[in-house]
Amino acid sequence: MTREEIFAKVVEIIRPFVKNQEALDSIGDSTNILKDLKVNSARLVDIILDFEDAFDIEVEDEDADAVNTVGDAVKLIEARIS
Amino acid sequence: MSELPFRTRAALALQREVGRFSSIVWIPPIVFTLRVLMKYRVKNAAELRKRYRALMKETDGPVLICANHLTMVDSAILAWALGGSWWYVFHYRRMPWNLPEYKNFASIWFSRFASWVTKCIPVVRGGPRQQVSGVIKRVQHVISRGDTALIFAEGGRSRTGRVEVDSAAHGTGRIMAAVEDCKALCVYLRGDRQVTWSTVPALGDSFHVDFELFQPESLHRGLRRSQDLAQQIVAKLARMEEEYFASR
Repeated sequence: MTREEIFAKVVEIIRPFVKNQEALDSIGDSTNILKDLKVNSARLVDIILDFEDAFDIEVEDEDADAVNTVGDAVKLIEARIS
Repeated sequence: MSELPFRTRAALALQREVGRFSSIVWIPPIVFTLRVLMKYRVKNAAELRKRYRALMKETDGPVLICANHLTMVDSAILAWALGGSWWYVFHYRRMPWNLPEYKNFASIWFSRFASWVTKCIPVVRGGPRQQVSGVIKRVQHVISRGDTALIFAEGGRSRTGRVEVDSAAHGTGRIMAAVEDCKALCVYLRGDRQVTWSTVPALGDSFHVDFELFQPESLHRGLRRSQDLAQQIVAKLARMEEEYFASR
């Protein structure tokens, strides 16, 4: 799976949780999931659990702490897949 | 469970000891406020405390108190309901650590100091995960060393007035997962006149308090395990709530 494919899938997973839909137009690696997309912090766990299902990976709590931006999520998934 | 840096451990130990030695000064006014000024009553208080003290005496290992949440003074009412007042002076490790929202008291130096003395570890709800994680690690540290801590299993006050099973606070499960042999003391608290969430309970309210010691288990690993444990705890509180309403 290429980085672009992972990125696209990550955005697709995050989309239903996003409160600031306008921010999705300019979404990139540096987009902060909580601050820019206005995702509820409690929902971030649900998003990462969805990553686990979608990419068939397992994430530890401490690794999830490092997920602040979309790029962080992609990086975490890339590391788990490889 | 990862070890906290020495400075953090030392700061927690200092906070605990200052709180312990000053507890004779700050516990009575809090209880006076609840009992006399607010005229609150705990139903079957003597029996409840006897049960709680016996349970704490016979329970080995770390205990995390997991409660439902309807008002901003729930933590004070719960601590008073379970342990009374003087008992805590002599069993200070059973005075639960609390995790109040930082924004609620950060603006005034006195409230910051008061919360420090009264075993509070402030948390910024919805803050960066790494910051929240730091708070969770502090709680893991204190309970693994024999103190108790109180966490609201739904993360915040229930907006429906009932235990919200879909709002399990992940941090609860994370603490349970990280601390070996940790037990959850699920506590259900409700004032008779409490219809939905509020800042404080109604003046003169009477409180139903019940608790059950519970050790959730999960076959999952990682983040999913923590989430599973957190959901089991909230489900337990929801069952306790059903029992409360069925017996009214």
